[in-house]
Amino acid sequence: MEVNEEPTNGGAAPESAAEATPASEPTTAERPPRDASAVPGRVPAPAVEVAATSRPMSLGVQLEMARLTPVEVDHPKALYKTLLPGVMQVPADYIIAAARKSSLWPMTFGLACCAIEMIATYMSHHDLDRFGIVPWPSPRQCDVMIVAGTVTKKMAPAVKLLYQQMPNPKWVIPMGACATNGGPYTRYDRVLQGVDKIIPVDVYVPGCPPRPEALMDGFIALQNKIMEERNQVG
Amino acid sequence: MSPDEKDDKPAEETAEDAAPAIGPVADLFKTALPGVSLEAAQGALDVLITIDGKDAHQVLETAKNDEALAFDFLRNLSGVDYEDAGLEVVYHLYSYTHGHNVTVKAKLPSQDPRIQTVSDLWRAADWHEREARDMFGIVFEGHPNLVPILLPEDMLDHFPLRKDVPLAPLEEWQGEQLGENMANAGHIPPGSGFDVTPSAEGE
Amino acid sequence: MADMTTEHELDTIDVNVNIGPQHPATHGVFRMVLVIDGEEVVDLVPHIGYMHRGAEKLSENMDYRQAIGYQDRTEYLAQFNAEMCYVQAVEKLAGLVPPDRAQYIRVILAELNRISSHFMFLGAFGTDLGVFGTAFTYAFRERENVLDLFEEVTGDRLMYAYFRPGGVAWDVPRDFKERVEWVCENALVGAMDLDKLLTDNEIFIMRTRGIGILNAQDAIDYGATGPVLRASGVQHDLRRAEPYSIYDRFDFEIPIGTNGDSYDRYLVRLAEIRESVKIVRQALAQMPEGPILPERMPRLLRPAAGEVYMRCENPRGEYGIYLVSTGGTQPYRLRIRSSCFCNLSALKHMTVGHYVADAVTILGSIDIVLCEVDR
Repeated sequence: MEVNEEPTNGGAAPESAAEATPASEPTTAERPPRDASAVPGRVPAPAVEVAATSRPMSLGVQLEMARLTPVEVDHPKALYKTLLPGVMQVPADYIIAAARKSSLWPMTFGLACCAIEMIATYMSHHDLDRFGIVPWPSPRQCDVMIVAGTVTKKMAPAVKLLYQQMPNPKWVIPMGACATNGGPYTRYDRVLQGVDKIIPVDVYVPGCPPRPEALMDGFIALQNKIMEERNQVG
Repeated sequence: MSPDEKDDKPAEETAEDAAPAIGPVADLFKTALPGVSLEAAQGALDVLITIDGKDAHQVLETAKNDEALAFDFLRNLSGVDYEDAGLEVVYHLYSYTHGHNVTVKAKLPSQDPRIQTVSDLWRAADWHEREARDMFGIVFEGHPNLVPILLPEDMLDHFPLRKDVPLAPLEEWQGEQLGENMANAGHIPPGSGFDVTPSAEGE
Repeated sequence: MADMTTEHELDTIDVNVNIGPQHPATHGVFRMVLVIDGEEVVDLVPHIGYMHRGAEKLSENMDYRQAIGYQDRTEYLAQFNAEMCYVQAVEKLAGLVPPDRAQYIRVILAELNRISSHFMFLGAFGTDLGVFGTAFTYAFRERENVLDLFEEVTGDRLMYAYFRPGGVAWDVPRDFKERVEWVCENALVGAMDLDKLLTDNEIFIMRTRGIGILNAQDAIDYGATGPVLRASGVQHDLRRAEPYSIYDRFDFEIPIGTNGDSYDRYLVRLAEIRESVKIVRQALAQMPEGPILPERMPRLLRPAAGEVYMRCENPRGEYGIYLVSTGGTQPYRLRIRSSCFCNLSALKHMTVGHYVADAVTILGSIDIVLCEVDR
């Protein structure tokens, strides 16, 4: 699904059409479309795929496209940079980034099976509290949204709304294969193939479900990212 | 393409016969419903009664109210799409008083499948029928609230579990086609020199 | 309250309160719209389908063994029970008979999974009532013991795909019996801990006794099964009524409740943990050595054409697999009869007339798993 363009074909990605008929339909992407057969172990798509792209797009699907457009993203400037630009910028950045990364409050957004592993990571056996990570139900007071589970197209507007309700700065961690690219349910047409189609994403944590250690690794990667980006954060 | 049930597999572990003989529930049905045409067969676990969709409500009402049958528990209501042979609504019933169970299969045409609801007999059928309608397009006449249950309300253009609806194709990862307003969104403004551009290498 | 209204002629409107789909107490993405008059719930409209991922449709395009993975993910707290139901359905059609050792392994793992699922319920139920976190930490401590054992046996913490049509995938580790016995002892201790935390707690009793009453007739009519049905007084357990696998070799009680309220549902599940430990211990004592798959295992599984409705007693109720096969390598129709789907349809009946805070309690006491409701 294209981000910035109106959907012109039947809601299907252009690359499957490009694979079947390479001469037609010059796609808009500069890089060549992903060739599934190059990935080792990946079963190439059968020829039956072509039929899917020729399905006419009905009103229901058009309405769905409207609901699934990506969220509008703004780039605010932090208060201390607007009021006192350049004053003690470097230590201020460092201290504020260190504070942010040490007290990430995720929103309890467990959707499916990954929620159980997320809860298990919060609990005493693996314990995320030692990182300063406290689960918090309200989006208004959270920093991180862990999308743990499959996002269906019915749920997508709610995910967008919750993302918009979070105050800046905010980060998103799609946990598990379903939130990354649809996971085992990716071939069902009511499933959003990855939450990055509607909201911007920072750290992907793969797995089905990811082990608690993997989620902790994801959080540490996010902490490193927060420190690395501290000078550029708005 | 309706499946033919033959039970000549060994090691059957149910209370009903292991041999292909049909269980006693079929006879109870035949005595309770003399005028209705029904075919009985023995499945792997239950007796299968195949009827026409028009007789469904009558048969099921008898199944619930008749004293010898007394099926007070509707276990399951599902639709099946046999492509050329039409659709089927399959009811699985159990009786707490007698402890027997049965499978009732009601045949419907593929085009415009309509069947009378059984939600007046068992309140469990309410949600099951809404789901069957979402998945197959079967209209249950007389249902109190036939609105979509599993699918979003504005997305009923095709019925997913029908055999002529294919699986969705794989779409490209959005991460590789992020537009300007989405890259590092939220906290890093574009053009700041720290943008993460889509990687140029291949796979 | 009614007197004040007529005296002062207050005009009141019923308020719609939307709970969900993101809410810490909805056990997943479940949305209910309550229509409340003051504090009392007048109407409840549940909205499900936010987790409808098409496990049935996808299973139709998969091999019989690949579809086992979808069973795990549908019922992600009672995976072995779901796998057992599916695998037995395939066996009935294919005519495979699993050897005894495999049957015992299956029963032991399924009952341990029931224990871990009930611990999750105890933790989540306590959380719904406001014990935010304490009950969860206790419960997950016990769950981690069981999950460690499962990881030793199958290699995965949560999605096992260990049962195969015909038996199990590989044999259990050498110290299986000792480990299972250790897990059972700790499970009993953990259940006692949670029992002491919640059962005689005055606030807990006040918040759950008499709340969400579902009498036996309505429970049967709504298709409720499992602890919800047993708490309403109907002593019906599929392991006793329609025994599958080798459950007829074990001696266990079926706990039932008297009132059908949330307190009874909690007590029934607590008692079921202890019954499951009994079953596991008996199975450990009886488990023989031997193969875990039949000798003639076909490479490509093509069950005979036919259909079967296999039902099992899952921790949440009757989990059914309606499998239609036309002799191919893929299921023609795989319908999952979900226990929580039917239990949840009785939610409105149970909640109308109670207060808003009780709505959350009742939802928690039904113990739903949204992926199973929506499949």
